[in-house]
Amino acid sequence: MMPMAEGVQIGLLPGYAPLLLALPLAGFAFTAAVGRRLGKRAHLVPLVAIAAVWLIAMSLALPALTGGLGEGGASLPLFSWIASGDLRFDLGLHVDALTGALLLVVTTVGALVHLYSVGYMAHDDSYWRFFAYLNLFMFSMLLLVLADNLLVIFAAWELVGLSSYLLIGFWYTKRAPGLAAKKAFITNRVGDVGFALGLMGLVAVFGTLDIPTILAGIEGGALAGPAATVIALLVFCGAVGKSAQFPLHVWLPDAMEGPTPVSALIHAATMVNAGVYLVARMSPLFAASHEAMLVVAAIGIFTAIFAASIAFTQTDIKRVLAFSTLSQLGYMFAALGVGAWVPAIFHLITHGFFKGLLFLGSGSVIHAVEGEQEMPKMGGLAPKIPLTYATMLVGTVAIAGLPPLAGFWSKDEILGEAFKFGFAWVWLVGMIVAGMTAFYMFRLMGMTFWGKSRVPEGVHVHESPWTMTLPLVVLAVPSIAIGFLLGYPFADGLLVHGLEPVFHAASAALGHEHEAWTLFGIDGLLMLASVTVAAIGTAIGVRLFRSDHAELLGRVTARLAPLYRGSRGRWFFDDLNDLVFVRFGGRLASALWWFDRRVVDGAVNGVGALASGSGRGLRQIQTGRVQNYALGIAVGLIAMATIFLVTAR
Amino acid sequence: MSLIAGHLEPYLVLSGLLFSIGAFGFLARRNAISMLMSVELMLNAVNLAAIAFGAFVPELAGEGASFALLVIAVAAAEATVGLAIVIAIYRNRKTPLVDEYDTMRQ
Repeated sequence: MMPMAEGVQIGLLPGYAPLLLALPLAGFAFTAAVGRRLGKRAHLVPLVAIAAVWLIAMSLALPALTGGLGEGGASLPLFSWIASGDLRFDLGLHVDALTGALLLVVTTVGALVHLYSVGYMAHDDSYWRFFAYLNLFMFSMLLLVLADNLLVIFAAWELVGLSSYLLIGFWYTKRAPGLAAKKAFITNRVGDVGFALGLMGLVAVFGTLDIPTILAGIEGGALAGPAATVIALLVFCGAVGKSAQFPLHVWLPDAMEGPTPVSALIHAATMVNAGVYLVARMSPLFAASHEAMLVVAAIGIFTAIFAASIAFTQTDIKRVLAFSTLSQLGYMFAALGVGAWVPAIFHLITHGFFKGLLFLGSGSVIHAVEGEQEMPKMGGLAPKIPLTYATMLVGTVAIAGLPPLAGFWSKDEILGEAFKFGFAWVWLVGMIVAGMTAFYMFRLMGMTFWGKSRVPEGVHVHESPWTMTLPLVVLAVPSIAIGFLLGYPFADGLLVHGLEPVFHAASAALGHEHEAWTLFGIDGLLMLASVTVAAIGTAIGVRLFRSDHAELLGRVTARLAPLYRGSRGRWFFDDLNDLVFVRFGGRLASALWWFDRRVVDGAVNGVGALASGSGRGLRQIQTGRVQNYALGIAVGLIAMATIFLVTAR
Repeated sequence: MSLIAGHLEPYLVLSGLLFSIGAFGFLARRNAISMLMSVELMLNAVNLAAIAFGAFVPELAGEGASFALLVIAVAAAEATVGLAIVIAIYRNRKTPLVDEYDTMRQ
């Protein structure tokens, strides 16, 4: 263990902490082995395992967030994973406030999604397989947030990718989920190449991937200048892939082909946050490079507005939420890029809860209308599924950033800090996105729940069973209250105190001072502005979609036809990828394949053919008859004698 | 003294003829025994040449005869071993013809 800074003590985690990893792994192994024979009871073991994990995680996360584990958090070295000469990779657990924040979201949403899946997947033939995968995912995700070594994080990073792949393609007999799973996996590989190269760079500089050692080294100035920029950007590549930021965002909307609980757990509340977590965990690395921070902020805020603009026109309820997730993740990266570390993690927490709620709510809606995901075939559902409606409304108000729900607190802090740290452009775009977010979320609510019903005849709209509505109600509570609990008083709340030691070094490197919050000053004005923008977005959304304003809507879309088409077509990014990588890249690959087959393989095979061909030819003179050999000797003798006689003259 | 007694050349011509006959026999005859005999013929042709040089060239007087004696001894050993091999092969293959001894080809 390394001291993170002078005088900071790192405590020892309680011995039961490894259970966080062991329980879901055991649940996965058990369910994978005998789950098929358990039929509709297959969920029991995974559910109990995750419930226990939740209790353990809370017992660690709450002290970690309130400072109960000490300033540097607490560690538990487990074992030496790889020891080769000077290179050592040790597996150890580390819990500090940042880990605690992630544990809070991952295990809470994880446990509720397990419960929800009992109802949602009840009619599925591969019931046991779903729960086995869910437990595998929980193991991987917990390993990712608990590990104190980047190589272990990388392994966990790939494991969550694998679980995500398996769960997106859960209904693998259908074509679209299989393709979406592959798309997610391959797109993530692109980012992971950068991540792996970044890790190699870190090994080259520090000779280890132990996070405390690396961070201490960066604080000591061991990595600076262009090298820091390159390594930080390479690591950021991995984050871009995993958190689906532009230009690797294309996999996340398609990942909605997976079952809705998976969308809620993996593709909204937990796994996609891994990139944010990674950047936050390595914050001193990014703080060491001004250019890298600028790239993070630019990509984040661009993804935020880009994805929000697409969410305007999507008609699939889950796709709207997927683009909303992209947009909110962009917010988090923008926050990280401007050095607003704590608000980024704050938004990660609040977003995890309300987006998990919204996704589970959308699953409940889809369940109610018997599998339909297209919002034009919904409408007027509010009185028929009141509980789902009420909880989703909570989630919508929360994400829209209207006070006093959770989203307001974190979004306001991001925008406020971006402005105060001198990133006016991030603030301005962020404000626009805040308005857009409110608009498209109320559009979703309007198209789904308000107005006249467009549900086809014969579909019996029904509220979901308690296993599905209970998680909605439970998630509605943090969606309302967690912002206030963690973020009040402004800039001085629980989370700020908890996370301050984690980000102290990075903030110091950027020269950011901790300032008091002033209601009657710049902070109050900024807050008023962001609330106003959110309220305007809400008002427009409600006005257009409250009841059937088809004729008004038609006029608006007709005026903005080019924008509408672009947004509807996701700004044609999939088509661009298809053109560049599938068509042009495919041609290039075919040409290279031809070169490989003809020239490279041809040369190798030619050498072999030459040897075997000449051997076959020379074999003919090996008759095995003594006299043929003797003749050869005689002829040779005569030839030599002749040469001797001729040249001797 | 006869016509040829005083000249080296007739001995060498005879030696060359004998060697050529032996070489032809070794290459052309199919019977292993005949081939061994051809080898003896070639060796003796060389012996004749060596003796003739020893008799006509004063500097080689001793060397020619002793070289021939050495070759005779080696030839005797060669004939013994060669015959033994031929008999051993004959017992296996039931033929004295060398063109059927092509096991080495495999």
